[in-house]
Amino acid sequence: MVFMQRTDIQSDIWKQDVTFEKEKLYLIEANSGTGKSSLCSFIYGYRNDYLGNILFDTDDIHSYNISKWTDMRKRHIALLWQELRLFPELTAMENVMIKNKLTGFQKKTVINSWFEQLGIDDKKDAKIGQMSYGQQQRVALIRTLCQPFDFVFADEPISHLDDQNAAIMGQILTDEAKRQGAGVITTSIGKHIQLNYDKTFKL
Amino acid sequence: MKLVWKLLRQHISIPQFTGFFLANLIGMTIILLGIQFYNDTQAIYNGEDSFMKADYMIINKKVGVLSSITGGNNAFTKGEIEDINGQPFVERVGAFTPSSFGVRASFAMNGLANMSTDMFFESVPNDFIDVAREKWHYAVGDNELPIILPKNYLDLYNFGYAQSRSLPKVSEGILGAIKLQIRITGNGHNDEYVGRIVGFSSRLNTILVPEDFMKWANGYYSDAARTKNATRIILELNNPADDRITTFVQDNNYETDKSKLDASKTTYILRVVVAIVMSVGVLICILSLYILMLSVFLLVQKNSSKLENLLLIGYSPAKVSLPYQLMSVGLNVLVFILAVALLLVARSLYLTLFESFFPDFVEPSILPSLIIGVILLIIVSVLNMIAVRQKVMAIWNKK
Repeated sequence: MVFMQRTDIQSDIWKQDVTFEKEKLYLIEANSGTGKSSLCSFIYGYRNDYLGNILFDTDDIHSYNISKWTDMRKRHIALLWQELRLFPELTAMENVMIKNKLTGFQKKTVINSWFEQLGIDDKKDAKIGQMSYGQQQRVALIRTLCQPFDFVFADEPISHLDDQNAAIMGQILTDEAKRQGAGVITTSIGKHIQLNYDKTFKL
Repeated sequence: MKLVWKLLRQHISIPQFTGFFLANLIGMTIILLGIQFYNDTQAIYNGEDSFMKADYMIINKKVGVLSSITGGNNAFTKGEIEDINGQPFVERVGAFTPSSFGVRASFAMNGLANMSTDMFFESVPNDFIDVAREKWHYAVGDNELPIILPKNYLDLYNFGYAQSRSLPKVSEGILGAIKLQIRITGNGHNDEYVGRIVGFSSRLNTILVPEDFMKWANGYYSDAARTKNATRIILELNNPADDRITTFVQDNNYETDKSKLDASKTTYILRVVVAIVMSVGVLICILSLYILMLSVFLLVQKNSSKLENLLLIGYSPAKVSLPYQLMSVGLNVLVFILAVALLLVARSLYLTLFESFFPDFVEPSILPSLIIGVILLIIVSVLNMIAVRQKVMAIWNKK
């Protein structure tokens, strides 16, 4: 797989055949501008300006229609966007519930405990627009986990977090992935969650 | 869904939607009112003279000084009738058959008035009469005779006779229930019949009986030799506004009941006016639809990042479109309900007027206007839904 307009790439992923498996932990390390977010967008069906094929099992995602993509995003692939994509007009809890009501997946008690563990229990009813970026990252993580998934992508999830919160986040992420038997793929431009990665790619 | 709505109602512009609402309301009301008004006025035109179908005309030869002196004949010859039948504006021709026997009618109303008069009968072919067949029927031997009277007779009684003698006025309905005593004499026969009034004509100035009766009676009460040719002819026209009609009537020195033609022309003009008013209504509706589309497009544009994020967290395009679709359809339904309410109010205003002009006015149903309103509602709503969906799909495909 490769960017459409680039040919001079040295990478563990671009111009290579790469396979991600469920129940494994992957880290993609990269300098900025090498295409982490693009990779996530390609796999998530948000962008398709690449050459090559992305296969889920044996299905080429080029062939997916709207309802298939909607289903993938609801039940199979979870993505924590680097730019978070939260709704600033809604409160933290509303941002989580707008996803969880769609999937009906996580129990309210689980969600509440995540808010507590991540230290943003008191921010549940605060508007996202009034929260710091680090707090928003934690809300975005909770929202990301409010769905069944085979793989969860976390695009620079801890860029604005201290080590302690990063560790809690890593714990929640891997616990939930383990519970669902899913694969985890995180990206980083330097600072990354300290986890027991099965494989690290240099982008 | 509540959360999605909370999110998507951001940037809704109240002034824009008020603008759409009012414009659409005005357009819709004009259309509905136009249809309803046309239907209601049609009911007047048809209702006033229900047994005479719309596009008929009666012609006769002018009675001139010369013919009075010479005793010249005012009757139409066979050739003349064929000539008339051949005219391009004529659908059908029917001759008036006059009676050639003596008729004397009298009626009594509980001793209040007892009028008695010599009179005559005429008949036209049954096809030209719009009274139910079972009412307009005579079989030889029947004692009861259906009659259509000129409306003038009623007016003469009500505003002349009854007025001068302080007698109660009677309506068409009451008079319809009164039985006339009719004595027919001729050819050595003298019989009594009961006349039943089945209708009043304000344009047809004659006393009509069924043609079946006339044929039989003319043979029975008079010698065949005295049977006369028709002096008046009824025509069915394919277009009463045709210029050639007037020219033809003048060229042949015929006379016609002008008011009938005028009424037809009035109907025609009314139809044109209503059509113009309704096209204005349609235009306003289209413009208002345009406003709504622009408002929705603007709204979708302003909220495009929210819509995109909803799509990216797993909401389907259908689910994301739904709030705006429901909003537009809700607005349309509200407009429709209000337009119907306005229609009913406006209609009650002019119906009061109609009823004072025409006491026998029967209110037509408002169903046709409602059906057209619902069709409009559906068309506009479907267009709105498609437009919203397309906008959302544009966001989906932006990738």
